[in-house]
Amino acid sequence: MKMEKSKAQKWYERNGGRIGVAAEKMRKFFQPEVEGWKAIGDPLEYPDKIEIFYKYTYGGQSRFFRELRENKALYGSKCLKCGKVFCPPRQDCNRCYEKTEWQRLSGEGIVVTCCSVHFTNSSFIKKIPFICALIRLDGTDFLMISNIEMEDISQAKPGMRVRAVFREERDGAITDFYFEPCL
Amino acid sequence: MGKPMRKVAIVGGATTKMKPRHIDKTYFELAFDAVKEALNHARLSKEDIESCVYGIYNDLFERQFMPDFFVHDYLGMGLKPGVRVTTGGATGGSAVREGFCQVASGLHDIVLVTGCEKCSDCFNYEVGKESPELLQVLRYAADMTWESPTGRTAATVFALPIVAHQELYGGQPTEEQMAKVSVKNHGNATKNPKAHSPMNLTVDQVLKSPMICYPFKFYDNCLYSEGAAALILASEEKAREITDKPVWVSGIGASLDYASMGNRYMDDPRAVAEFRSSIVAAKVAYEMAGIKNPRQEIDFAELHDAFTGTEIMAYEDCGFCPKGEGGRLVDEGIVWLGGELPVNPSGGLLGMGHPVGATGIMQTVEAMLQLREEAGERQVKNARRGLVQSIGAVGCAWTVAFVLERGE
Repeated sequence: MKMEKSKAQKWYERNGGRIGVAAEKMRKFFQPEVEGWKAIGDPLEYPDKIEIFYKYTYGGQSRFFRELRENKALYGSKCLKCGKVFCPPRQDCNRCYEKTEWQRLSGEGIVVTCCSVHFTNSSFIKKIPFICALIRLDGTDFLMISNIEMEDISQAKPGMRVRAVFREERDGAITDFYFEPCL
Repeated sequence: MGKPMRKVAIVGGATTKMKPRHIDKTYFELAFDAVKEALNHARLSKEDIESCVYGIYNDLFERQFMPDFFVHDYLGMGLKPGVRVTTGGATGGSAVREGFCQVASGLHDIVLVTGCEKCSDCFNYEVGKESPELLQVLRYAADMTWESPTGRTAATVFALPIVAHQELYGGQPTEEQMAKVSVKNHGNATKNPKAHSPMNLTVDQVLKSPMICYPFKFYDNCLYSEGAAALILASEEKAREITDKPVWVSGIGASLDYASMGNRYMDDPRAVAEFRSSIVAAKVAYEMAGIKNPRQEIDFAELHDAFTGTEIMAYEDCGFCPKGEGGRLVDEGIVWLGGELPVNPSGGLLGMGHPVGATGIMQTVEAMLQLREEAGERQVKNARRGLVQSIGAVGCAWTVAFVLERGE
């Protein structure tokens, strides 16, 4: 197909609008298809997207996010039977099948393993490079995956002591805090 | 632990070419190509198939919820049972296991196991590339509340155990040992006409390639592939009618570890430096197959090398060597083609490709070709018994392992 310029522009706007992509980007990636000469038997690419909205419940983990958002505090959960402390917290101990109780944590911990991320998905591609680490918070028997922010990311090493830093604007999500090295 | 009610054989199989993109094929058309070739290979027709199992990893890659329905339709398998399996990177292995169970239990005599995957239909319009958007799909496979918002990728959750392993075992595996795995598998792929990434690399090229996720550089990572694989399983009685080269599934093991590494750590702090599910799956498969010394009793292996370091961890987890010594098997030439225990003669995921849902089936097809002496230039001499390992999910939560043997 070879569309005339004005029709092609409408195609870019209409289809870009449908998937939330600017018309100029659409032109960049679809120009050969829309304005060029493709044979009738050539494979045809169609722009599409999938999007779902949620109002998601944290259920039994809700208090963790309330304490985080409202009190800048990290909480774990302690099994009423074996005494092991989970963070991320769980309402139920999967060892004993018993209930747990909330336990306030200091917000400090130790890096068990970590690595720097230099390529990632669409949501985070603009933040590279950054550090992902498995951290055992003091007073817990569990690991939490989180980010460590520091000047020289090559200096992040297992065994390093870290502490939670809370963001000024908190929404009730795990991204409301990150870790930095303890001085 | 129970045992299979009867013997199960592989009587045929095939894969498509693995490619970054099959722009001229949909996922169900790719599946069709693999199935048609597998039926030809077994000299069977679609009417001979009693039941179908589908390994398709990700609905978002396919842009279709329950894509198995549409594959079943396209293959013309209407009214036969058709069940889809999805267990992350181990989807293909789990699909083969499901097919095995259907035959071993006596429920069906001939079962078709098909895997297919697209991935490069995903596209990031901002940067004009497929890769960040296909990784975006995988973002939804991470724990959405606690892990995904950290920006961690599949590479991250395999890198974290490698770093923990290095910490525990004096820096092993080294970056150079990992680079050698990349050289080996990309090199093996040059002997495989179906391979996605055949390449003659040097250790230096691997070490100098761009960092993706420490310690993995670009050539330490497999690429996502588009492609399909199909395998036909049969009962002993049927297998003897169909072929004079049956390949027996003599051992099968499966294990799903905790999704969160914290949960594993709670069992044992060293659990973050190994892949426990791989250890369990291999052990169960070996017991069923009567293998006591895997290093000596196995002739070759197709291991899940999504990342070079995970292949080295797999040597240890599969009992080829003691903990912390996996890197030496690469240094000493043992796992190279022509060595004592070649690993990934097909090129593995690094060289042949990683069409996720199809991968475990692709690996099994490759092992079948070895045991039938149909592997061409990449043929392992006197291959009588092979191991296939299919792994997936957070730092290898899922493992399926098979022992395959040449029929007499």
